[in-house]
Amino acid sequence: MRLELEIVHTKDIQFSDRTEIVDGELRINRGELQELLERDIRFSKVDIARARPGESCRIVQVHDVIEPRAKTGGSGEDFPGALGKQRMAGQGSTRVLRGAAVVLSDCNKKGLYPTREPNGEIIDMIGPAAEQGTYGKTYNLVLMPRPADRVNPMDYRVALKIAGLKAAADLAGANLDSAPDEVEVYELPSVNDPAKGPEHLPRVVYIFQMLSMQWEPIPGEPVLYGTNIEGLVPTILHPNEVLDGAVLNSYRSICMETYVIQNHPMIKALYRQHGKEIHFAGTIITTAHNNPPEFERTANMAANLAKWVLSADGAILTKAGGGAPEVTLSQTAKRCEELGIKTTIALVPMTADVRDPQSEASIIFNMPELNAIVSMGNPSVAPLELPAVGKVVGRAVPMPNGSPISDAHIRRSASIKGILCQMGSSKFKAVRY
Amino acid sequence: MQKKSLRIVHYLNQFFGGVGGEDKAHIEPQVIGGALGPGIAVQNVLGEQGKVVATVICGDNTFAEKIEETSEKVLELIRPFQPDAVIAGPAFGAGRYGIACGAVCKAVQERFSIPTATGMNKENPGIDLFRQYTYIVKTPKTGIGMAGAVSKMVSIVTRLAAGQRVGKPSEEGYFSRGLMTNEVSAQTGAERAVAMLLNKLKGKPFDSEISLPQYDRVKPAPRIQDMGSATVALITDGGLVPTGNPDKIESVGATRFGAYSIEGVDGLHSDDFEVYHIGYDPIFVHEDPNRLVPVDVLRDMEKEGIIGKLHNKFYSTSGAVCIVENIRRIGQAIAEELKAEGVSCAVLTST
Repeated sequence: MRLELEIVHTKDIQFSDRTEIVDGELRINRGELQELLERDIRFSKVDIARARPGESCRIVQVHDVIEPRAKTGGSGEDFPGALGKQRMAGQGSTRVLRGAAVVLSDCNKKGLYPTREPNGEIIDMIGPAAEQGTYGKTYNLVLMPRPADRVNPMDYRVALKIAGLKAAADLAGANLDSAPDEVEVYELPSVNDPAKGPEHLPRVVYIFQMLSMQWEPIPGEPVLYGTNIEGLVPTILHPNEVLDGAVLNSYRSICMETYVIQNHPMIKALYRQHGKEIHFAGTIITTAHNNPPEFERTANMAANLAKWVLSADGAILTKAGGGAPEVTLSQTAKRCEELGIKTTIALVPMTADVRDPQSEASIIFNMPELNAIVSMGNPSVAPLELPAVGKVVGRAVPMPNGSPISDAHIRRSASIKGILCQMGSSKFKAVRY
Repeated sequence: MQKKSLRIVHYLNQFFGGVGGEDKAHIEPQVIGGALGPGIAVQNVLGEQGKVVATVICGDNTFAEKIEETSEKVLELIRPFQPDAVIAGPAFGAGRYGIACGAVCKAVQERFSIPTATGMNKENPGIDLFRQYTYIVKTPKTGIGMAGAVSKMVSIVTRLAAGQRVGKPSEEGYFSRGLMTNEVSAQTGAERAVAMLLNKLKGKPFDSEISLPQYDRVKPAPRIQDMGSATVALITDGGLVPTGNPDKIESVGATRFGAYSIEGVDGLHSDDFEVYHIGYDPIFVHEDPNRLVPVDVLRDMEKEGIIGKLHNKFYSTSGAVCIVENIRRIGQAIAEELKAEGVSCAVLTST
């Protein structure tokens, strides 16, 4: 399967009377886009703002971030199954506005959950959060759709995601006839055609946990080709499908935005080593479960696919959600090791056993064979000191201490979008001294 | 730029201080000028970087019997020398000496805000008492490890005194202090994962970035012989609280718990309760709180005589991303309260 990403580097974002990209400047007809998004009867109104790197600006209630993408040359549908029709993703060519992002800011009055911080997750365009994170460096178009009367919160969340996809496809599709700045090619041979692969190299698979069932799946939420993957059992996906819009972030996932899935750092890292040090033999997608029959089923099926279908010598595993998904994750890795597949786990530990010097650990599993674990930063330590900002975008509410969210404050890294990442994009590493 | 010569005070017990053996373990803290015994080794490693200006010697029993009082006396002996750093021991496998070294380092660090280091064997009880307050370098059980321990201790305090950083426990050979932070690595997490897997596949050494946890084993209480006369309590870590969360139980990293009366009620009503917990979807509990804290069923069992009595309160905290010490403390407090109120057993419901 071969995918070409036609990269256009975005260097600015402006509102204009026409939506187009000129010399890297993304110009957007705000009224037109607003009109497009307001056709969704689940919204009463859609406000649109922009936020640029270096602006004294804080975006609040951030639910997801999406990279603008559009299929070109009739080679597929934009976000198939979720926005576009059911078509195969991962082949042909796709236009990418690199450096730009569509940010979804949740305007629901009250979420279903009392959270620790009423402003949710934020993005800062200046200061340490902008320097350390992903989305303080992108040219952001912020969508703030307000729910229509009597639209329930679950339906609103689905609508929010669809609005983001519409905007992402609309922006990237603006002038497809212009030449891209560069083209990235992602191509792997068929997994059952070893003659075409670097057969002398170890075969490595990526086991991608996409969703945790510790929260109820949202009805109608598009996660995989438009389905909410509630009943998903492990299956094989071509890595290109992940990169090309088949997979979207779920509302309740932690540290895994759609933007990062579209640029999946683990898949890209494996691609970079393909043919050099490894044979990248495919991606297995899974979910995390609450009860033994379910997580054991997932562990067994995923390990079997890795061993007996993809002939893996090695596997890398990542997780979704909080601490609970580590059960399915570790069981799956254990099954792989039992079948002779060497594993490495990469995770953002969520269980905060950070102050007990005797335990030295922040995970909830202990299996001696799982001896290769990458720590991608701990959300319970090293909070960031954020500066006061001049402008707030999104439905701001006072912080628990009563002061406005524009004030300088100290914030957990997990409450800032794009600092920590379950899929390996950040350079953070939790270290114990 | 000429570097300032560091002033170091060294702490020793009666044995290493050359006063005597177990018969002198009751001597009071005393100070002499300059280096002595292991202090000579300290001075040799220090070389031009500094000078051992004084040595404080104290009996092991004196210290172990009155830790705080003796620490104060030792501080007063150290104070006039205005040191830049203090080195204690190493204590190797000696338990009382280890506790003394740890206590001196802790007191000095807290009171004088200067760097300290000591050394112990992994079985020394002083490690778990003091590791979070000072640098304890790893040593063998006996004095054969003197040279290695001294050079590690000197290396750590001289760098700290110069404002330089100390590396990780595994690199520097000290017991982890339990201080966790997020550092920026040269590679992304994804790149490190691929590199680590490659090393594992090739049989090359690799460093896992997270150690596996060790958990306490809890011995279960003996089983209840007669449930018909037992008082049963309900406990949950599912974060169920009266609407408005009067005890302000945190939805993540809880430090508190609440005890809520169920006196005379046949079940919990959704209007009266809500969930503070970030780790699961509370919709079903919001619909019917008995699904999490089954007061309704326990009341039926009480009426049917299956259990003697339902305790008149239920206990609740939020078990999402909790710090082990906090949750251990909460558990102990709930257990003590139940014990004091004559509860015979408890049903714990989790989410």
